Amino acid sequence: MHSLSTRRTFVRGTATGAALLGASSLGLLGGCRRTSAPGTTMIPGDPATTSLSDHLGFFSIDEPTLTRVMAELTSRGADAADLYFQHSRDNSITMEDGIISRASSSVDQGVGLRVVVGDQTGYAFTEDLSLAAMIAAARTAASIAHGSKVVSPVGYKHGKTADFYTLKQPWSEIGVAQKLPRIEQLNTLARAGDPAIEKVTVSWADGEEVVLIADMHGRIHTDVRPMTRLWCMVTAKKNGVTQANSANLAGRQGFEWYTDERLAFVAKEAVNRTMILFEAKRPPAGELPVVLAAGASGILLHEAIGHGMEADFNRKGTSIYADMIGKKVAPDFVTIVDDATQPGERGALNVDDEGNQTEKTVLVDHGVMASYLHDSISARHYGHKGTGSGRRESFRHAPLPRMRSTYMENGPHTREEIIASVKKGIIAETFTNGQVQIGAGDFTFYIKNGWLIEDGKITAPIKDINIIGSGPEALRNVTMVGNDTKLDFGGWTCGKDGQSVPVSQGMPTTLVSKMTVGGENV
Amino acid sequence: MSKPSTDIASSNELLKSSTDAVEIAQKAGAQDAWASLSRDRSVSYTYRDGKIEKVEESTSRGLGISLYVDGRYSSHSTTDLRPDRLAAFIREAVALTRALQPDPHRKIPDPALFQGRPTVDLERKDPGLADLTPQKREAWCADMDAAAHADKRVISAESGLFSGESQGASASSNGFSGTWEGGYVGYNCTATVREGEDKRPEGSASAVGRFLAGLPEPSKIAEKALKRTIDRLGSKKGPTIRATMVVDPEAAISLISRALGPGSAAAIQQGRSFWAGKLGQPLLGDKLTITDEPLIPRGLASRHFDGEGIAAKRMPVLERGVVKNLYVDTYYGRKLGMAPTTGSASNRVVALGDKNLEQLLAQAGSGIYVTSWLGGNSDSTTGDFSLGLRGHLIENGKIGAPVGEMNVTGNLPALYKSLIAVGNDPYPYSSLRAPTLVFENVQFSGA
Repeated sequence: MHSLSTRRTFVRGTATGAALLGASSLGLLGGCRRTSAPGTTMIPGDPATTSLSDHLGFFSIDEPTLTRVMAELTSRGADAADLYFQHSRDNSITMEDGIISRASSSVDQGVGLRVVVGDQTGYAFTEDLSLAAMIAAARTAASIAHGSKVVSPVGYKHGKTADFYTLKQPWSEIGVAQKLPRIEQLNTLARAGDPAIEKVTVSWADGEEVVLIADMHGRIHTDVRPMTRLWCMVTAKKNGVTQANSANLAGRQGFEWYTDERLAFVAKEAVNRTMILFEAKRPPAGELPVVLAAGASGILLHEAIGHGMEADFNRKGTSIYADMIGKKVAPDFVTIVDDATQPGERGALNVDDEGNQTEKTVLVDHGVMASYLHDSISARHYGHKGTGSGRRESFRHAPLPRMRSTYMENGPHTREEIIASVKKGIIAETFTNGQVQIGAGDFTFYIKNGWLIEDGKITAPIKDINIIGSGPEALRNVTMVGNDTKLDFGGWTCGKDGQSVPVSQGMPTTLVSKMTVGGENV
Repeated sequence: MSKPSTDIASSNELLKSSTDAVEIAQKAGAQDAWASLSRDRSVSYTYRDGKIEKVEESTSRGLGISLYVDGRYSSHSTTDLRPDRLAAFIREAVALTRALQPDPHRKIPDPALFQGRPTVDLERKDPGLADLTPQKREAWCADMDAAAHADKRVISAESGLFSGESQGASASSNGFSGTWEGGYVGYNCTATVREGEDKRPEGSASAVGRFLAGLPEPSKIAEKALKRTIDRLGSKKGPTIRATMVVDPEAAISLISRALGPGSAAAIQQGRSFWAGKLGQPLLGDKLTITDEPLIPRGLASRHFDGEGIAAKRMPVLERGVVKNLYVDTYYGRKLGMAPTTGSASNRVVALGDKNLEQLLAQAGSGIYVTSWLGGNSDSTTGDFSLGLRGHLIENGKIGAPVGEMNVTGNLPALYKSLIAVGNDPYPYSSLRAPTLVFENVQFSGA
């Protein structure tokens, strides 16, 4: 089983074809305050203005060290080999019962060393960046190969990367004293939201991650990746019944992103999502038309098609979409993309974790299956230029093809038209998690808040229902697509093969004519 | 591997470093501190369709420290253990803590709770794991791969073999010191078959334990994975009905976990638990008896003390559905005015019934046999749940046609009130040892 949690689990996952998406894993990339930088080096800024030696200096390494380690890594041959240096600093603060009840900080650094021969991978990592430790790890990773030595790079070239999330002020310069008033403000706003509110928990996370990727051809790419998240959890009590719910804001953003307006918005969302639960019921069980509200409903795309389009599953023949490129899978007005270039999104990436250029990849172009999401191994396998989708949770993991920001482009209909077309069905608004079986194509997502639609009108609130469907069937059954596409403001974390990465998702208002709704006939 | 300069070799060295970290924190102004150091080594082989796909090997270490400074609290972790960096990290963490707010409920765990620590040998580490050579690992993977490919409809099969060992130590400013070590080994297999034009159903199986002895042969796991895959062929969407639900032991683990999850002081104090006000009361029907058993030799979650240093002891959680104890840690215990028990679960053992799966299916007659869940969630405050599932129809008291694309929906306390039987067949490769469960009158949604 795959897990949503950020814990490194004791028992490894088994089902490779299952992948999970969850909103509930709090603070995967938490926050960072400057607690323990290695040396005195500040976080390197824009690669255009920072020299390569500064970047290397951040990890207390230099070019001769890289060359020495790379030589060891490729000493038994390699089709590809890379070093992934990472330094992460995260910080979190929690306010509970009106008190800052805890704060935490963490520093995590190390290097992952990879050798690829064909589709075989040798991988090792070390948190110790001494030459001796890196050489030892390189030997371990190299043991997958049985060939002869590859010529090591004689020089290094610092590649250019995009710029989708440079902050005005890095998180390392923002102190606790600046954050506390914002946390208290959100707490006050949420408490004032309704007299029935008994508890408010506010959880703040911020952090920065510096990466340096060096490959056997002497290419070096660097990136500084900020991440922040602010959660507001609310518990209310009415007539002896207790209900709880939450809302959060998340992105590769800085301190200034948390404006008064955004805090008021997330407080109101958390309160509204909680208070409506007192009136919410279960819809009838069985097959129903399902309207997906604009925004977070992109969870459908993530599960029903996104994972199945990750090229590793297709290369191995285990995805239901393995033979479908070029085939018509949805109506003409359906275009689905996976996009690394949405500024400030959790799924934004200046360069992927293999040092490849990122892009906006079209998965389904006007109803036709267009492209898989590739890492370097699958790009070589398919002779594809690549899509910059090679991602990893940290230096502890080898990269895999992963999603970034997955969404559907606008269609020809309006939200009003779509709702008016439904005789009896539901509209789904907020979600907690989803999962898919890549080969069988079965996917699910869990609706926390939604509404019944009766005779073309939104009527009663609904809650806590799982939706299950078949990916290809759901795509075929998309009958209307609205013109109001947007990305969800809350944060999502995608789990695959035991690795969690931050992603975004979005959707215009969309009608799927039939899915199985987990309701109750009461 | 050569031994890097900052490598830490033994539990005693880890304990010494933990004690040093506590001293640094106290010198920096912390009244109390609790530090833990751990070191893990892991190896994992992934094998696919006749050859090794990935070999991963690593040694990892880290420090965690909790600080109590002028009534304020924070916790920190780092993997940068170079002595000068570590000292600077701790000093800065103490300074950060001063910037927070005082919390009257926050106190370091009471040393009285450290007393009576058990000494029974938990057999957490198999010395035989040292003999797992790369050749043996690869050979076992190849055995699994061959068994998983025994059916020609198999498109691809992935077999994995993983093992690891860890050491750790904790020390506190109020007299706690303890060390631990452990190991694990396991394997898993997933097979994928082609069905019709597009469908590629898959099935998995796995086993994990502290000791190699007691695990099945790797090829048996692959055979089980293949059988589960073949069993999926012809799966159709099941019906929308109210019916009896028989839950396989592996699937029962998460169904029980969901019900037990909110049984903590933390969840109750935060107003997010349907266990609130239920201590001593019936909550989950009258068939479920669960005990937290930290002292089982070779148990996956066995321990002599918990993360707060509380000496481990057996703790009844549910007796015939009645709440006997909650998981209470120091902080939320103080907030609720309850004595700490332990804040985290160890091995959870379910009292068994006297029938096996065959007998339980025969007794059920008809209904749905759930073999695994797909997605879904539950609300810890109300107990409302809705879960996707895969399994089989139960026809004439026997396992019938495979079904999928179904949900089961309800409320956890209500569901457990309809628990009518518990099997005699616990799943051994988990810290929660769940048997087959039988519920009646459950709401399914499908076609």
